Amino acid sequence: MIPITIDGQPVEGKEGENILQVALDAGFDIPHLCYNENVKPYGACRLCLVEVVRRGRSRMTTACTYPVMEGIEVLTQSEKVLRARRMIMELILAMCPGDKLIQDMAKQMGVEQVRFKKDDNKDCILCGLCARVCDEVVGAHAISFAFRGDRREMVPPFLGEAMNCIACGACVVVCPVDVIRMKEEGDERTIIRWKRTLKMKQCKVCGNYFAPWFQLEKFKERAKLPKDFFDVCFTCRG
Amino acid sequence: MTEKLNVFAVRTLTQKEYFAPGHRACQGCAEALAVRLVAKALGRNVIIASATGCMEVVSSPIPFTAWRVPWFHVAFENAAAVASGIESGLKVLMRKGRLPRKKIVTIALAGDGGTADIGLQALSGALERGHDFIYICTDNEAYMNTGIQRSSSTPFGASTTTSPAGKVKMGQITWKKNMPAIAAAHNIPYVATACPSYPIDLVEKVKKAASIEGPAYLHILSVCPTGWRSAPELSIKLGRLAVETGIFPLYEVEHGKYHLSIDFPRLRPIKEYIRLQGRFRHLTEEMIGQIEERVRKEYAELKEKAAKGVAR
Ligand SMILES: Cc1ncc(C[n+]2csc(CCOP(=O)(O)OP(=O)(O)O)c2C)c(N)n1
Ligand code: SF4
Ligand code: SF4
Ligand code: FES
Ligand SMILES: [Mg+2]
Repeated sequence: MIPITIDGQPVEGKEGENILQVALDAGFDIPHLCYNENVKPYGACRLCLVEVVRRGRSRMTTACTYPVMEGIEVLTQSEKVLRARRMIMELILAMCPGDKLIQDMAKQMGVEQVRFKKDDNKDCILCGLCARVCDEVVGAHAISFAFRGDRREMVPPFLGEAMNCIACGACVVVCPVDVIRMKEEGDERTIIRWKRTLKMKQCKVCGNYFAPWFQLEKFKERAKLPKDFFDVCFTCRG
Repeated sequence: MTEKLNVFAVRTLTQKEYFAPGHRACQGCAEALAVRLVAKALGRNVIIASATGCMEVVSSPIPFTAWRVPWFHVAFENAAAVASGIESGLKVLMRKGRLPRKKIVTIALAGDGGTADIGLQALSGALERGHDFIYICTDNEAYMNTGIQRSSSTPFGASTTTSPAGKVKMGQITWKKNMPAIAAAHNIPYVATACPSYPIDLVEKVKKAASIEGPAYLHILSVCPTGWRSAPELSIKLGRLAVETGIFPLYEVEHGKYHLSIDFPRLRPIKEYIRLQGRFRHLTEEMIGQIEERVRKEYAELKEKAAKGVAR
């Protein structure tokens, strides 16, 4: 166990844990958008900014990327932190002005107006969660960041159809601003943002479409399953 | 829609357990699974008032507890009243500066008996007063903790110890009370149905309920192998069948607007669901037909409400 303090309160973290995780587990409220414990921290949104005092020196850092170390003092509510956090929130709000979650978070921090150029055509906050989940959890490597600076974007390869995407929907679930949508029509499923449409497999017993062909083929390949393994759907299989 | 195959989506949920393993629930208890998923969705900053019933009994055998969050065991009938008090208390303490201002979600948790029967008055009061809390009913369709007595949420035809199937009667003779509709009739911001066989859908509904200001009501169908006389390994499948036959549709009511969470071009025959459960063993073809007719009618009505996007 590694003893640290957060806002003056003694807390214990484990080897390899980051400050954000330890703070959240202890019930502290640190706003965050790009953190998910199941994938590597990335430090993209910068919202989880805290002040860390170590050997008498203070520095600002993102809590999700900073490992717990014996004796550090973490400040989550200092004047410096609150000011920086409000600025970051304002920038995120400019990136994604239409989203309810972002609006609510901004309001809670007292960010009412945005002094930066708002781009109403953009909606993604570039948190990178979708690609990290697709890489590390799904293993499909279907999407990635492209371009630099203010032209940075999360896109399928060459802006075309994401040919590695198995349409599992994991990215749909993790996107904090809900801009990755999925639709199903007849025997097709589409991940709209990645321009990926896959044919669905029909259950031999009940006739329902239950998963994309391409995805099931990948599973069979990966887990060395018999050819007819996915002929019936999950409900019919028992 | 992600529910059709969610092997990866579920792996983006937290691996932390707030309803810890080691509790005393039966093998295959989907009510325990529902509670576990609810707890995962809510995380650390939550206070729960839990009515007596299976979930309270199995999680708190003295001197142990399965709860890693603040949790009260309250009486059978007053989960909503206690939650009202907790929510009001938190508000006052924060206003007076005795607690830091932060989001702490207040939960009332009760079974179908504790909700649809004895706790209905407390629930109605809390919804009407507009407390900012979530009421969660884990519906296993009878008083299971005390030995499978019928409740007003027990479905027509089900045999229980107080609605036994025999020579004169064929099990429960009344139709299941429509609790979500009763909750929605209070004009609250959010009502939803869920089932742990659809974990992502359940977790997202809990999160949505927590993010909404004002009362929210969640009704979670929870397969009970002991009371339903079903094989424990079939609990997930039975939950799916309840949904895919139209017996327990998954939907949301947001500010009075109905929305189906999952729809099926074709509903499965209810026999697939019925024949896996001993509590329905005695049902005749005729009774099954009668139930099917009612299920189809209610499903059609629900779809109509959803299509119109209007309330009640
Ligand atoms: C006023 C009162 N009456 C009766 C009881 C006994 N009792 C405890 S739990 C229970 C049934 C619980 O049923 P339900 O709410 O459906 O929860 P389940 O056990 O099925 O999860 C009863 C009758 C009680 N504790 N208090
Ligand atoms: S839906 Fe496609 S892009 Fe999204 S996580 Fe799954 S495989 Fe990756
Ligand atoms: S699409 Fe969503 S998950 Fe992906 S980077 Fe943008 S905001 Fe993040
Ligand atoms: S959560 Fe730490 S930078 Fe986004
Ligand atoms: Mg019950």
